Amino acid sequence: MENPLHPFELHPLMPFSLFGLDISPNKAVLMMWVVIALVAVLLIKAGSSRRMVPTKLQSLAEMLVDFIRAVILDTMGKDGMRFFPFIATLFLFILFCNLLGLVPGSYTVTSQIVVTATFALTVYGMSVVLGFVLHGVKFLGILVPPGTPGWLLPLMMPIELISQLARPLSLAVRLFANMTAGHVILGVLFGLTLTGGVLIGWLPFAFTIAMNALEIGIAFIQAYIFTVLTCVYLGDAMSLHGHEAHAH
Amino acid sequence: MPQFDTHFFSSLIFWEVVSFGILLWVLYKFAFPPILETLEMRERKIRESLEQAERHRAEAERKMQEYEAKLSAAAREAESVLAQAKDQAQRLLEENEQRLTAEAERIKADAAREIEHERRKAIQEIRNQTTELALLVAEKVVGRSLDDADHHRMADEAVQAVAESYRKG
Repeated sequence: MENPLHPFELHPLMPFSLFGLDISPNKAVLMMWVVIALVAVLLIKAGSSRRMVPTKLQSLAEMLVDFIRAVILDTMGKDGMRFFPFIATLFLFILFCNLLGLVPGSYTVTSQIVVTATFALTVYGMSVVLGFVLHGVKFLGILVPPGTPGWLLPLMMPIELISQLARPLSLAVRLFANMTAGHVILGVLFGLTLTGGVLIGWLPFAFTIAMNALEIGIAFIQAYIFTVLTCVYLGDAMSLHGHEAHAH
Repeated sequence: MPQFDTHFFSSLIFWEVVSFGILLWVLYKFAFPPILETLEMRERKIRESLEQAERHRAEAERKMQEYEAKLSAAAREAESVLAQAKDQAQRLLEENEQRLTAEAERIKADAAREIEHERRKAIQEIRNQTTELALLVAEKVVGRSLDDADHHRMADEAVQAVAESYRKG
């Protein structure tokens, strides 16, 4: 039986290095290019039509953009729209990586822990920098939940610190693990189909169809979760403890 | 797991940052502004349309109420005018009838009075003439010695005089 982790392997397509850094393109890099080209073409084309009664493509793009806008307004309020380009691009990039990864023979970029970790650390780093820029030293107050009695501080602060540090970790691992697990399951089911033959093989094959449908849903949900958590972290940094933004 | 093979980390991170950066710039520059603008424009348009529809509806309702009020006022007025006209016609009719009756009554009374007057005058005249005639006859009888021939003559004369006076009268 084929190793279900085999599809995650990468091979340099051609050696390429910059200032001694090995940046040889591989299948995952190729997929990133496909993703950004697809997203850019889709959205620019949709944006150029600007019709009151939208075309189908325009409708789709507007739905995505409106969806992200609603997420930002819900979690961060009107001030959060400053981050709209970043958050929207992040959502679209992750969503299309997840979805295109489902195409047989392609590669799921987001199943690479280093890719999700880069996004997670960027987002978390942004939230920390934003917090200190907006609130100065008072941003350290994020380690003290509102209403904590003084004598509990020595206990609460380490706990909050750990929960803060867990943010980028969980953000990175959640997306990576979901994408990896889905493809591993699909790989195992396909392996079973091939080894099961005609008599019993149809059963795992039927499961792969159901699983693929589920994976499409998961692709959306994981992109959504990543985006919402990004908004929440940035929102927390903008309004300490979320007093203002989360008033509702 | 192949994903923990650090050999590809540098390449993946580099290309991820570059790709993401390019996509962010392209979308920020060319895609998001028109899409967001279109969304806002549509929202504004829908809101305005709804408000306008609401305004039109309110106005239509107001106008309808106005028309209904006017219509019922007109109906009331027409009714009152009709009633007034009927009333007036009735009054005129009655007045005319009364006037005509009174006139007829008056004419009748005048005629009766005149007839009565004429009758009395005629009677008075007859009485006067008869008296005159009697006096004439008496004078003639008294003024002469009468014989038979005279009697006849006088009678004839008397009869003739009466006949003459009748013819005259």
